[in-house]
Amino acid sequence: MLQQFERTIDALEAKLAAPQGNTPRRRYALEFARLGKRLYDGRHPVAWCGVVAPFDLLNAMGFTSCFVEFVGASLASSGVVDTFLDRAEQDGLVPDMCAYHRAVAGAAALGMMPVPQVLVATSCPCFAGQATMENLARLMERELIFLHVPLEQTPEAVRYLVDQLESMITQITALTGRRLDPDKLARTIERSNRAVAVIEEVFELAAHIPSPSASRELKDFGIAMPLLFGRPEAIELAQVFRDAFAGRIRSGGGNGVTKERVRLLWIQNRIQFREPLVKMLEQELGAVVVVDELNHVTWDPIDPQNPLEGIARRMISNPFNGPIESRISKLQALARRYRVDGAINPCNWGCRQGAGARGLMQTGLAEIGVPVLNLEVDCVDPRSFAEGQLRTRLEAFVEMLEAKSSPWS
Amino acid sequence: MRIGFACAYAPLPLIDAAGGRPFRILPESTAADQAGRILHDNMCPHVKRILDRAMGDDLPELGGVVLTNSCDTMRRLADGWRRARPEERVFLIDLPPAAGERSTRWFAAELERLRRELGEWTGHPISDAALKDSIARYNQLATGLSELRERLNEGGLTGGSPALQRVYNRISTSSLTESLALVRELLAQPTTASGTVGVPVHLFGNVLSDPAVFELIEECGARVVSDDLCTGGRLVQPIPGEKDPVSPIERLADGILSRSACARTMTPDTPGQLGEDLVARAREVGARGVIAHIVKFCDPYLGRLPAVRQALKAASLPLLVLEGDCTLRSVGQQATRIEAFVEMLEETL
Repeated sequence: MLQQFERTIDALEAKLAAPQGNTPRRRYALEFARLGKRLYDGRHPVAWCGVVAPFDLLNAMGFTSCFVEFVGASLASSGVVDTFLDRAEQDGLVPDMCAYHRAVAGAAALGMMPVPQVLVATSCPCFAGQATMENLARLMERELIFLHVPLEQTPEAVRYLVDQLESMITQITALTGRRLDPDKLARTIERSNRAVAVIEEVFELAAHIPSPSASRELKDFGIAMPLLFGRPEAIELAQVFRDAFAGRIRSGGGNGVTKERVRLLWIQNRIQFREPLVKMLEQELGAVVVVDELNHVTWDPIDPQNPLEGIARRMISNPFNGPIESRISKLQALARRYRVDGAINPCNWGCRQGAGARGLMQTGLAEIGVPVLNLEVDCVDPRSFAEGQLRTRLEAFVEMLEAKSSPWS
Repeated sequence: MRIGFACAYAPLPLIDAAGGRPFRILPESTAADQAGRILHDNMCPHVKRILDRAMGDDLPELGGVVLTNSCDTMRRLADGWRRARPEERVFLIDLPPAAGERSTRWFAAELERLRRELGEWTGHPISDAALKDSIARYNQLATGLSELRERLNEGGLTGGSPALQRVYNRISTSSLTESLALVRELLAQPTTASGTVGVPVHLFGNVLSDPAVFELIEECGARVVSDDLCTGGRLVQPIPGEKDPVSPIERLADGILSRSACARTMTPDTPGQLGEDLVARAREVGARGVIAHIVKFCDPYLGRLPAVRQALKAASLPLLVLEGDCTLRSVGQQATRIEAFVEMLEETL
C-alpha cells in the first residue's frame, strides 16, 4: 500500500507540474494519497476510526486518523480489491455484507492494515462498521474506544456524547501518552471552521446553473474532507476548488466537460472502482452529477473555546444518523438548493442503513417532484458489476427526465 | 391493550407496569410480501416479514409499538412502520450498543421517556411501585423458564425443545399473568426421563420461533439442550439488583444492558466476547457442537461470525452455520447438512 501511495504521489506531482495539469481533482487526489502515505509509512501515529469520528480532534492530538472504509475505497479505486474480498470470504464474511467492510477485513487479515495506536469506533453510520472495528481490535490486539452517537440532537444527547468524547481523550492519553493541548485544539478547530466556510463556498458555486463542477470532481468530497480537518491542507484544497469553480463561472459557466442538460443528485456513496457510467452520463447524455448527498455541511461553526459540544453536534447531524425523516429532509434541501432534475441511488449492496431505506427516500424525493433511480450496485466489489444493464437503465432514466418538466419550472 | 415489540431488548416490565400486554410481532404470517416497496430487498427477512404484517393488517389491534435501535434494520423498521401505519403510535428506543455506567444512564433516560409515553398510551401512569412489582414478577417468570431449560437440558421436559419453543411463543404474545400461570402449570407436571436421545447441541443465533424447526433438528439426530436466540432463551432474563439503592428504571436499564451479549452488542473492552460467551455456554450445557441459525442479511451476526468460528475452533467445538429466513422451509432445505453435522458429532463421541 505504501508503495502504491508513493507511486501515486509521484505521478500526480508530475502531472500537476505540467502545463494545464493543475486541476482541483488532481490536487485532491494528491492530498489523499499523502494521507494514505502517512497512514502506511510507519512514521506517524495512526488512529483507525469509524466514519464520524472527530478527526480534527485526533489531528490535534498528533494522530493521522482515518475511517477504515477509506481503505476499502482505496483498494477498489486501485483495481486490486478482489484479492482482499476473496480473503474476507475465505474467512467467513459472506458477499451479502458491505464490501467496504469486507475489503477492510481482507486487508487486515493479509497484513495490509498498519496496526494503529488507537481504534475509535462510532455507532454511526452502521452496525457492520461496529463489527468491523471490533474485529480489528481483536485481530490487532488493540483496545477499542467506542462512541455511541445518539439518534437525535437534544441537549441531553449532546451532553452524553460530550461526556464520551472527554472519556475518549482520557483513554487515548492513558494508552499512548499523548495529551490534548486545549490551545492546540482551539487552533485546530479554527482551521476546521475556516475549511468548512470555504467548502460552503464551493458548494454554493457548485449549485450554479450550469454547474461548474464536473460529475466526478466532487466525488467523495464531503465524506473525505473531514479527514483533513484542522490541517492547513483542508483550507488550501477547498480554496483550489472554490477558485476553479469561480473562474469557470466567470468565464461563461459550465464545467468545461459537457453541456449540462440534466442535473443529478447522487445519493450516499459513489462507485469506487473504475466504471464508465458516470462519464457516459455526462459526456453522452449531458447528465451531470451536480451534488452528492454527503457534500452537505449539516452543522454550525464550532466554538473553539468549547469545541466538544460543537463536535458532538456535528457527529449527530450526519445524514446517516437518526430517523429517515431527517435524512429525507436533508435530501430535499439539497434537491432544492441544486435544482436537480433527478437522483440516482446506487443502493450499495450490503448497506442496511443506507440502501435499506431506499423506498422511503424515493417517496420523499418524489413528494417534491424529483424522481429517483434505484440501482443495484456493489460500490466496492466490481465482480458483480452489470455494466450493460446499468447503462440501459441510466439511459432510460435520463430520457424520462428530459421528457418531463423540471420540478423547478 | 396490546403493545407490539420486535426485539428481546424490549423492556417488557414497563409495558406490563403500564397495564399493557406485550405482543411480540413474530415473523410468521401469510401476509403478502410487500415490504420491498419500502425497504430494500437486502434487509433481514425478520424485519421484512414484520413489516409485511403491518402493511397487510395481519396484526391484532395494537395500542402502540415499542421498537429498539438494536440494529440498522430495526431502525429502518421504525421508519417503515411510521410510513406503513402513520396513525399508529411508535416509540423507538435508542439502545446503547455497549454496556457501562454512562450507557446505563442514557438508557435509563430513554426508558424514562418510554415510561411517560406508555402511561399516555394506556392511561395508566407507571409508578415506581408498579414497575418494581412488574420486574419482580418478570424475574419469577425468568426463574420458571430457567427451570424449564434445566429440565430440557437434563432430558426431563416433555416434548423437548419444540415444546419449550411453544412456551416462548405463547409468552411472547401473552400478558405476564398468563405467562406466569403457563410456566407454573408446566413446572407442576412431572419430569419425564426419556428425552436424552440424540447428540446434545447448543442452538445459537437470532430469530427462530417455529417449533417445527426444532422438531426438524431433532429428527436429524440432534438434541437441542440449550439455546441463545432472540425468540428463545434471551426473551425473558432476570433483572438483578433488587436491593440496590437505585430507582426501578435504573435497575431495569442496568439489567437489560448487562445481559450476556448478543451480536448487536459492542464489547470494546473484550473484543470477540460473543465467541467466548458461546464457548462457555456450550460447555456449561454439555453440548457437543453448536448450530448457528443466522437470519440472512443480519450484519451484527454475519460480521462477528469469523470470530465466533475461531473461538469455537480453538475450543474444539464443531459449528454448523445455517443461514435462513426464519422459516421451516429455509432450514428444511438444509436438513442434509444437519444430518451430516450430527453424524460427524456422533463419530467424535
